[in-house]
Amino acid sequence: MTTAVEDATTGDGGGHPAMAARAESVAKAYGAGETRVVALDGVSVDIERGVFTAIMGPSGSGKSTLMHCLAGLDTVTAGRVWIGDTEITGMKDKKLTRLRRDSVGFVFQAFNLLPTLDAIENITLPMDIAGREPDPDWLRRVVETVGLADRLKHRPNQLSGGQQQRVAVARALAARPAIIFADEPTGNLDSRAGAEVLGFLRRSVDDLGQTIVMVTHDPVAAAHADRIVFLADGHVVDEMREPTADRVLDRMRRFDTRGRTS
Amino acid sequence: MTVLRTSLRNVLAHKGRMLLSGMAVVLSVAFVCGTLVFTATMNTTFDQLFAETASNVMVAPQEDDEGSAFEEGPTTGVPDTLPVTVLDRIAAVDGVERVTGTVSSTTAVAVDGDNENIGPTSGAPTVVASWSDIELRSMEIAEGRPPSGPDEIMIDGDTADKKNLGVGDGLRLVTALGDHPVTISGIADFTITNPGAALVYTDLPTAQRILLGATDRITAVYVDSTGAVTDEALKAAVTDALGDGPYKIQTADEYIEENRDQIGEVLGIVRYVLLGFAGVALLVGVFLIVNTFSMLVAQRTREIGLMRAIGAGRRQITGSVLIEALLLGLAASVVGFGVGIGLAVVLMSLMSLLGMNLSTDELTIGWSVPAIGIVLGVAVTLVAAYFPSRRAARISPMAALRDAGLPGDTRAGRARTVIGAVCAAAGLAALAGTATADDSAADGVPYLVLGVPLSLIGLIVVGPFLVGLVVRVLSALLLRMFGPVGRLAERNALRNPRRTGATAAALMIGLALVAGLSVVGTSMVASATEEIDDSLGADFVISALNFQPVLPDPAEAVRSVAELDHVTEVRQIESEVDFPDGGHGDITFSVTTPGYVDDFTSTVLSGDITRALEPGGISVDADTADRHGLEVGDDLAVTFDNGTGTATLTVRAITSTDSVLEGTAWYTGLDTARASLAEDALPLPTMMFATAADGQQDEARAALETALDPYPTMEVRDQAEFKELIQGQIGQLLIMVYALLALAIIVAILGVVNTLALSVVERTREIGLMRAIGLSRRQLRRMIRLESVVIALFGAILGLGLGMAWGAAGQQLLAAENFTVLEIPWVTIVAVFVGSALVGLLAALLPAFRAGRMNVLDAIATE
Repeated sequence: MTTAVEDATTGDGGGHPAMAARAESVAKAYGAGETRVVALDGVSVDIERGVFTAIMGPSGSGKSTLMHCLAGLDTVTAGRVWIGDTEITGMKDKKLTRLRRDSVGFVFQAFNLLPTLDAIENITLPMDIAGREPDPDWLRRVVETVGLADRLKHRPNQLSGGQQQRVAVARALAARPAIIFADEPTGNLDSRAGAEVLGFLRRSVDDLGQTIVMVTHDPVAAAHADRIVFLADGHVVDEMREPTADRVLDRMRRFDTRGRTS
Repeated sequence: MTVLRTSLRNVLAHKGRMLLSGMAVVLSVAFVCGTLVFTATMNTTFDQLFAETASNVMVAPQEDDEGSAFEEGPTTGVPDTLPVTVLDRIAAVDGVERVTGTVSSTTAVAVDGDNENIGPTSGAPTVVASWSDIELRSMEIAEGRPPSGPDEIMIDGDTADKKNLGVGDGLRLVTALGDHPVTISGIADFTITNPGAALVYTDLPTAQRILLGATDRITAVYVDSTGAVTDEALKAAVTDALGDGPYKIQTADEYIEENRDQIGEVLGIVRYVLLGFAGVALLVGVFLIVNTFSMLVAQRTREIGLMRAIGAGRRQITGSVLIEALLLGLAASVVGFGVGIGLAVVLMSLMSLLGMNLSTDELTIGWSVPAIGIVLGVAVTLVAAYFPSRRAARISPMAALRDAGLPGDTRAGRARTVIGAVCAAAGLAALAGTATADDSAADGVPYLVLGVPLSLIGLIVVGPFLVGLVVRVLSALLLRMFGPVGRLAERNALRNPRRTGATAAALMIGLALVAGLSVVGTSMVASATEEIDDSLGADFVISALNFQPVLPDPAEAVRSVAELDHVTEVRQIESEVDFPDGGHGDITFSVTTPGYVDDFTSTVLSGDITRALEPGGISVDADTADRHGLEVGDDLAVTFDNGTGTATLTVRAITSTDSVLEGTAWYTGLDTARASLAEDALPLPTMMFATAADGQQDEARAALETALDPYPTMEVRDQAEFKELIQGQIGQLLIMVYALLALAIIVAILGVVNTLALSVVERTREIGLMRAIGLSRRQLRRMIRLESVVIALFGAILGLGLGMAWGAAGQQLLAAENFTVLEIPWVTIVAVFVGSALVGLLAALLPAFRAGRMNVLDAIATE
């Protein structure tokens, strides 16, 4: 718990001190008139500190949209969003960028790394951009945890898909952000490489006290989390603590059944 | 058909990307078409001008030499003439309806009440001519009446407007025969294109009196036929009637033809220079097109892989790319043709700065202009697109399955590097070979002709390899201070050396030409300046505007300035010389007055130059002396043109030819020339030198200015100003060259913009990622700007380096022609280098703006 960087700015009181991020009655709609699509419809969710939270749901449930809104990558149509104590709804691009830079880490499904930079340069990029010196001890620890010590001078195209994702996770961790968002981080990996990355995310929560939010539709991946938030049709429909793959699979089947019957 | 449809769709889908490379073609084609239309229109205009003014048969004095259209006036200041009696003899010929004798001269100056010259200063002459009905073919009287009597003149309307003159205003005409006060009695407007001259009409007797000093002479005869006989027959009849004599008799067609040829020579040079620049622009455009298509192909790797996977053949892939190029080339060429016509109109209106009012009614557009333009534009586009199309065809069907990301085209091929290095080395060796040209520049020209293209091609080929070296050095010096953003920019510039190389090559070509020409120009100025320092002893150099001779009145005014220690003058006299070894030669003597040796120091190899200027003496140049075995003491038979006979003159000095100002000048004294020339056959001075009495420089200057006040075309220069004059002449030439090269540089900037814009599109996901993890818009824009600056500076380093090598080689050739000083214009070079960085910033504006506006989420989601 001691490792996450606290955001020094104080919000307007809407954020809860124990929460790494919060969404309150968030709605997100695309388009207008007849083509209007509602992706999120009054979603409220709290992301607890030091917890590995998974967001699950069938395709089109709004899970990626929710993550983008929580991470400050997308704007909301209604409702409010906090990262730590700071409300990000209505924030200007400049401040939002700085907030992302200093307090948020990202792991995307694919294309996580800059091809022109080698592994260690990619890992330290967010700090370089911010003009901060990485903490060498922390950096060594992160690199060792990810098991990339002998690959640091490799360019992304010299690394396997799994290694690339591990570099991406290391990058997200290295800056010690308050929260890491991972969008289908294992979506492009085979099961072995995927398990490696997930194990690594898990360890970073257990050993390093990192807060992680992961979007996935894979029950096996979701089972690595502490808590799962289920989304369907833009609503939070369920929540599960201490999940196992079987329980998640069961829960997901109910979506399928409902989807077929409704 | 499917292929065509796909290509068309691709072109339309990439309108924005196509636009910039299309612009390069548009500009080049426009330049070519504009040049062709402009020169054709000029030709039409002049044809019409001569056709309007010519009579069926024209008679003029036979000239000694083939004159040119921009012939300087006769050096005596009085034109060649015919006796007035020819008029009656021609009038008696059958078929002649009317005979008109006219007088005109270009060696005269018209001065207004404020002692201002009313003539053009652009190089076009002031023409003083007799008024007759013939003139109504090209003029109409707008105001007042034609001149009559000894003190009336009529001037053209354009000059009247420009100088704010009206009927009743008083002027002075300064001719070789003195000062003549006159009053404007009328103003006549051009009914045809004003060729830029100022026209002053008097009546015939006045023209004869003030221009020729003889009332029984004329300078031209216009013969109009009754129409009953052909011009050829009339010419034959006139020739018979006049018999043998120094007459030039021409039909209207011959007259037009001759004048057209003379104008055509000048226009031809203009045309080749302009087309040369169009060629440079086209060459630069090639790089732009190669880059665009390479990048389009790279971006479509997966798509092409898919087409290959589902069975498209290599030929079909190549074909589809080439058809895209064809469509682009065609569209751009058609637009270019249109822009070219606009350009021609702009060029025509620029001519009005020279006083020439060209009418767009006469815009001459032959069918060949669009044909040439479009064929050229399409051909260049196709050739440029050929290499990328070949690369497209080599894409494997597997590419469709791979998450290829960006093309792995990061290494400059070793074979390519070796070939380029060898080629560049050979080019530089050839350039170094110019140093072997000792005697004449012509000896070294083959080296230059070989060296310039070889070194250029070599550098272009080896460019991608150099990217790695130069960009790293540049980054270490410049980008490191920008921290991680600088490093990202460096990596981006390095990631595709071939692309960076090609983009920079476009800039390199223009800058190499600029640098090369400015080295040559600066070296010429430096050489001339050094020589002026060494040889010019006089305090003041006095000459007339537009290379006109110094008329007697102003010359006398100079001589009468009391504050001067002495005044000397130089006249040029043509002559024929018989050498003792049996050879003959046409020699132009510089005829000078005593004291000249103080004003201008010649390098004398043997003998005594002062004695050469004494009666009966001459000096000869060392080259001719060597060739004909001349030595001091030898006698030569010299026949001055229009002289009274052959004189035997003695060689008393031999001068060195290692001088820009003198070259192969032969000197003799004025008294020597006078002994063989009638006073009215003696040419006017081309230049005068004046030296102030001790310590009275400033007073002498003021007195000279005052004395020459009534003669506004006279120019007094001290030594510093005389150097500036030479610098100005070369500088003007360079400015024109730079202005034209700006076109090549504009195309190159388009190239940088295009490369960056396409790179930004290509790197959409990267940009999205960087923005997501916290790169601010400002940092992103700065990254793109820095990349652009590095590419531009890379091009500048190569271009300036190459240009300086070219310039140094060019100077070696000039050294053989006595321009011995090599001077590198560091100020210009540094300014161009810094300017290139600005060009880089400018080119990055739009791409950086676009990148900054990208939506982070969309960018990440892009395939």
